[in-house]
Amino acid sequence: MGLDYQWVLWNKHKKTYDKVIVFSMLLYILVFVGVTLVFKPETSIETLVIRAFGSLAIIMLHVILIIGPLSRLDSRFMPLLYNRRHLGVSMFIAAFIHGGFSLFQFHALGDVNPVYSVFTSNMDYNSLTNFPFQVLGFLALLIFFAMAATSHDFYLKNLSTKTWKRLHMLVYLAYALVIMHVFLGAFQQDSYVATALLLAVGFLVVALLHIVTGIKEVRKTKATKALLEDGWLQVCQVSEIEEDRAKIFTVEKERVAIFKYNGKLSAIHNVCKHQGGPLGEGKIIDGCITCPWHGYQYLPHNGQSPPPFTEKIAAYRLKLVGSQVYINPVALAEGTEVTPIPCNHE
Amino acid sequence: MSKKDEFYVGYLDEVGTSTRKRLKRFVVAVLLLVLVGAGIFAFSQRPFKNSTFELTQETEIEGIYHESPYPMLKVNLVDKQFKNVILLGFGKSNADPYLQDIKAMAGDIMNKKLKVKGNLIYYNGKTLIQILKPENVTIVSDDVIPLLPVKTVGVDIFEGEVIDPKCYFGVMKPGQGKIHRSCAVRCISGGIPPVLATTDDNAISEYFLLTDLEGKPINEAILPFVGKNLRVNGVVEKMEDWYLLKIDTKGIVYTHKTNVYAANNSCQSDCASLHFREAFARSH
Ligand code: HEM
Ligand code: FES
Repeated sequence: MGLDYQWVLWNKHKKTYDKVIVFSMLLYILVFVGVTLVFKPETSIETLVIRAFGSLAIIMLHVILIIGPLSRLDSRFMPLLYNRRHLGVSMFIAAFIHGGFSLFQFHALGDVNPVYSVFTSNMDYNSLTNFPFQVLGFLALLIFFAMAATSHDFYLKNLSTKTWKRLHMLVYLAYALVIMHVFLGAFQQDSYVATALLLAVGFLVVALLHIVTGIKEVRKTKATKALLEDGWLQVCQVSEIEEDRAKIFTVEKERVAIFKYNGKLSAIHNVCKHQGGPLGEGKIIDGCITCPWHGYQYLPHNGQSPPPFTEKIAAYRLKLVGSQVYINPVALAEGTEVTPIPCNHE
Repeated sequence: MSKKDEFYVGYLDEVGTSTRKRLKRFVVAVLLLVLVGAGIFAFSQRPFKNSTFELTQETEIEGIYHESPYPMLKVNLVDKQFKNVILLGFGKSNADPYLQDIKAMAGDIMNKKLKVKGNLIYYNGKTLIQILKPENVTIVSDDVIPLLPVKTVGVDIFEGEVIDPKCYFGVMKPGQGKIHRSCAVRCISGGIPPVLATTDDNAISEYFLLTDLEGKPINEAILPFVGKNLRVNGVVEKMEDWYLLKIDTKGIVYTHKTNVYAANNSCQSDCASLHFREAFARSH
């Protein structure tokens, strides 16, 4: 949102967030190392590092993946989403230490380039039990790298929100790759029921949360009803919208948020220009629609971010017949002024 | 703010009480996950072998150099007891690059007494040494000491896994199996002698240096079989504390034995697999 890009726009919450991340990661490594040294003291230092960071990375990945649906199911989780990119970058660092050590330990100092070795030292690509699982981890690490490297808002702007979003959706592919990496790799040789169970439960939790959220999302978005003359669509009663909040409707396959504030109604496209956050789940603060994800703001009557910011969202025209709200499904050019319609019924 | 109306904006300092409570609970849950996760992952590791790699400590050994067919040093322990120490280079390579200087200087070093300084690797009665510098190999005497007697034991079938002895006997844990396969492939491809590690029903292990039918190194041909459970047949020879197995890779069969975790048994010299005992009996 800023015009100058800084590494991190620090604020109190981000600092707390990062302290929790660092503390949890250190705690994990300490416990892992401690338990190993007590119960399996004959390990080697490289194996200790590889396993501590590999298992840390996959646990962090699960936490990252559940934050999205959790915050959509209950807005009180929203602060977790706010700085999730730091969690993502931290997870990448853990995965990188794991992958880097593995790459060095198992593939370097040999007769070929270590990366070439990852792909060619085991050619059993057509076997499940013998599959070269390192390849899966390597590809996942590349995706995490791309995501971590482009996690800054600078790239968001320069890649366009859509491309960026697509890139970051690859996290699900990476998750699948990592799960296969573990089940076709380490677990083929060195696992007890407990670890397999832990990851199976993790997978179920991630999958279920996503499914439940998806269902809720669909339910929350109201379909528009019968047509009025000139293509106006009937949406809802004024009273169904809370003050300073919105309701989301699907209009011509696009989601639109209708806000009620100060006895007025305005409609804008539901998708935030930042990372595509659901504006209709946001709130009017200081007269601006405020995105629930990272707090980008837009004026309700024209979809423009207040100066000095320059983001613009498409606005829609509304009409009131009695207490019934209608919307014109034609999206206006982004940033077009639309006079809010008064609705002083309550 | 009422519970329902709480709305978090990251760059504003205020956070509603209900939100704050929820976040605290989440952090507690994460910390629990950290403790349980780390505990489970760490505790669920298979036991490691008590193999040793003296990474930071150098030892000097003296013995007779021979290639049978892999470079080794026959070291005199106590009267008439010998140990054949496998010579290795840095990383995933054999000793050849470190022997070139001395070969250039002294000509043929076969069956001559050498002094070698390096890092020892040992487990289960077998010893290897990693040489890091050509200067660490010196010639002690130009006398040629007669060749080692190699006894033919017989033909037999063994089940086990082809491992690279450098990692298996000390450098890596685990130094075998699926996790380690790629590394073993690199090591053997880099010239480290391939070894068949067998484990019998009593978890007693025996090791065989693999060669082709003519007794030549088999590094290249064995690569596709490394790190998997196999049934191998061949001609067994005994060379003091090492067995050699001359094989044809065409005769190798994959097996599905899952127990390749040779536990902490230390078996010294002659405790061979059951198969092997039979073979031994037959040949005598
Ligand atoms: C260059 C990329 C990678 C390589 C070469 C690699 C290699 C390996 C190897 C060799 C193991 C077995 C280690 C052992 O058990 O001793 C392993 C296990 C594992 N890897 Fe990876 N890996 C890579 C990337 C990743 C990534 C990106 C993740 C997840 C975020 C990951 C998660 C795990 C986990 C959870 C295990 C099982 C637990 C453990 O043994 O650490 N790996 N990996
Ligand atoms: S998506 Fe980040 S502020 Fe809207």
